[in-house]
Amino acid sequence: MKKRLLSLLLVTLACVMAVSAQGRRGLRINEVMIVNDSTSVVDDFGQYSAWIELYNSTFAPLEISSVFLTNDRNNNTLYPVPLGDVNTEIPSRQHILFWADGEPNKGTFHTNFTFTPGEDNYIAIYDANGLSLIDEIVVPGNLLPGQSYARKADGEGGINNPDDWEVRDGSEAHYITPSSNNIIKSTNNKVDSFAEHDPHGFAMAVMAMCIVFTALLVLSICFYIINSIGASISRKRKVQALAGDSDEIEDHHHEQDSGEVIAAITAALAEHLDAHDRESTVLTINKVRRAYSPWSSKIYSLRELPRR
Amino acid sequence: MFSEFLLQNLQEFWHLTGFYNATWQHLVMLVVGLFFIWLAIKKNFEPMLLVPIGFGILIGNVPFNTTAGLEIGIYEEGSVLNILYNGVSAGWYPPLIFLGIGAMTDFSALIANPKLMLIGAAAQFGIFGAYMVALLLGFAPDQAGAIAIIGGADGPTAIFLSSKLAPNLMGAIAVSAYSYMALVPVIQPPLMRLLTTKNERVIKMKPARAVSQNEKIIFPIVGMILTCFVVPSGLPLLGMLFFGNLLRECGVTNRLAKTASNALTDIVTILLGMTVGASTQASEFLTSETIRIFLLGFMAFVIASASGVLFVKLFNLFLPKSKKINPLIGNAGVSAVPMSARISNNLGLEYDPSNYLLMHAMGPNVAGVIGSAVAAGVLLGFLA
Repeated sequence: MKKRLLSLLLVTLACVMAVSAQGRRGLRINEVMIVNDSTSVVDDFGQYSAWIELYNSTFAPLEISSVFLTNDRNNNTLYPVPLGDVNTEIPSRQHILFWADGEPNKGTFHTNFTFTPGEDNYIAIYDANGLSLIDEIVVPGNLLPGQSYARKADGEGGINNPDDWEVRDGSEAHYITPSSNNIIKSTNNKVDSFAEHDPHGFAMAVMAMCIVFTALLVLSICFYIINSIGASISRKRKVQALAGDSDEIEDHHHEQDSGEVIAAITAALAEHLDAHDRESTVLTINKVRRAYSPWSSKIYSLRELPRR
Repeated sequence: MFSEFLLQNLQEFWHLTGFYNATWQHLVMLVVGLFFIWLAIKKNFEPMLLVPIGFGILIGNVPFNTTAGLEIGIYEEGSVLNILYNGVSAGWYPPLIFLGIGAMTDFSALIANPKLMLIGAAAQFGIFGAYMVALLLGFAPDQAGAIAIIGGADGPTAIFLSSKLAPNLMGAIAVSAYSYMALVPVIQPPLMRLLTTKNERVIKMKPARAVSQNEKIIFPIVGMILTCFVVPSGLPLLGMLFFGNLLRECGVTNRLAKTASNALTDIVTILLGMTVGASTQASEFLTSETIRIFLLGFMAFVIASASGVLFVKLFNLFLPKSKKINPLIGNAGVSAVPMSARISNNLGLEYDPSNYLLMHAMGPNVAGVIGSAVAAGVLLGFLA
């Protein structure tokens, strides 16, 4: 009963953890434009509306239907992202754009709220339960028309941390990127960094060898410890089996008879004496009872039942 | 009119045939494929790998009209070969092979003598030595990493890493890795003789102690957790390796272990070998880069084997006389299991017919499998 309870608890815990891991924690508000002054993008209706760019910072597709978008601190569930639209699944490391035009009848990606230019605008995303905050940001009120407020690097940084954000005015250094990466990468930064700082590969060789040695050294040490624990347990058992004659065990331990020596002695005994050693093993035969059920009879042939 | 129609169709058909589309590069690759098959059948060099790869090279280099949209080429999306090739390009065949390797491998020698793990680590220097030379030859760091992994002497790891770091070089890297694995009996013995003295070659090591089943069960669990905590990017390979080993050792999943080590491994080996071979299409394969990859692969292999032997010699300086290790087992630090361990054994017997090194060499040999997977994880973590 206790085992069952424990198993149930473990399974429940695993399920809870899995559900938590599958949540939308990786969803990020990535870039926002409060006043779209016709220098930015238009929606499907040709309107220049304010927009919010969301970013899936995980490496798996993210379904965001039933997530809540809001600009009201007192109302977490202001705009629920509708169900049933295939476009609400954001591919890994990709973006999606919402139009904050207060016209939800125009479609899934048009929110029922708008922003107030010239004032600080609060934006938040809440999970489907309406309670768990996923991300929030306060867009400063001094943003000019046509300027956006964006994360410096896509999806990176904390929640509501202005240090991770910057104002973008569309200039060469601060381009505005609705539905696109805030930083456009043409190459792999890691590779570039190694090519620049470690052109001969010496640093890589030293670091990598240290890591490989560390991994195997840790494993090796761990098994030395397990070996000694195992040896100690086995010694205790032998002492118990020989009714506490620890000296005999000690002597035997020091002899370290190898398998080859034992095999040679056994072979010699068998050859010359035709003798058999007396086994101390006790063989117990228990009848295995398994309640028959037509529902489970086939299962018996597919898997073994756990031992009690 | 009818004859014109007939001629036109026959002419179109002629343009589709291999005879019409053949180039000298195709013929060279067909000869390479036949050479691999000959090596496998006549010389018995890793036949399980070289027959599928060799025949795959033949399949991949049958000339055809690539503009006809026949959907038969391995690189044509939706073709049968392309679907089979997904296991290579997306990198899911190698972890399945590792599952089988785990289910086949007995880690007892390593558990009984954990210090042998360090030999497996030392041999990985071949990878990073080759990485440095590859950079010198002008390869980019990610390409250099993918090529250098050949030094691990582990085909699935080489395929896995190259599919992530340098997919365009994967065919050459895989063929190179498997070729050198097949040539282990040719490459390693002279090197081992060169780096050891007569006295060192006859060092007798104490027989390994018996390992309890509990230790064998704990090993894959602790091994997976520790190594993957250090190098999470090695998770696909290490996770499957240790999982396969747990299936083998736990004693209650014999059927699963048997399937993983027999049927599953055989199926994946067939598909992997054949598709890797077929991916060596002449246009992609016959380049100067391939020659450089083969040279680097050879060098990586030599450095790896030498580092294992030299490390044992260095290690012996710190060990008491009764616990000295025979440096002939150092070559087994590369993960060509069990070929390189057999070579240690054969060479040991050559100098002392009563000195059986096989079980001692199996320790570094399986440590090499873990080490090369860890090294691949490190390269992936740094460069992907």
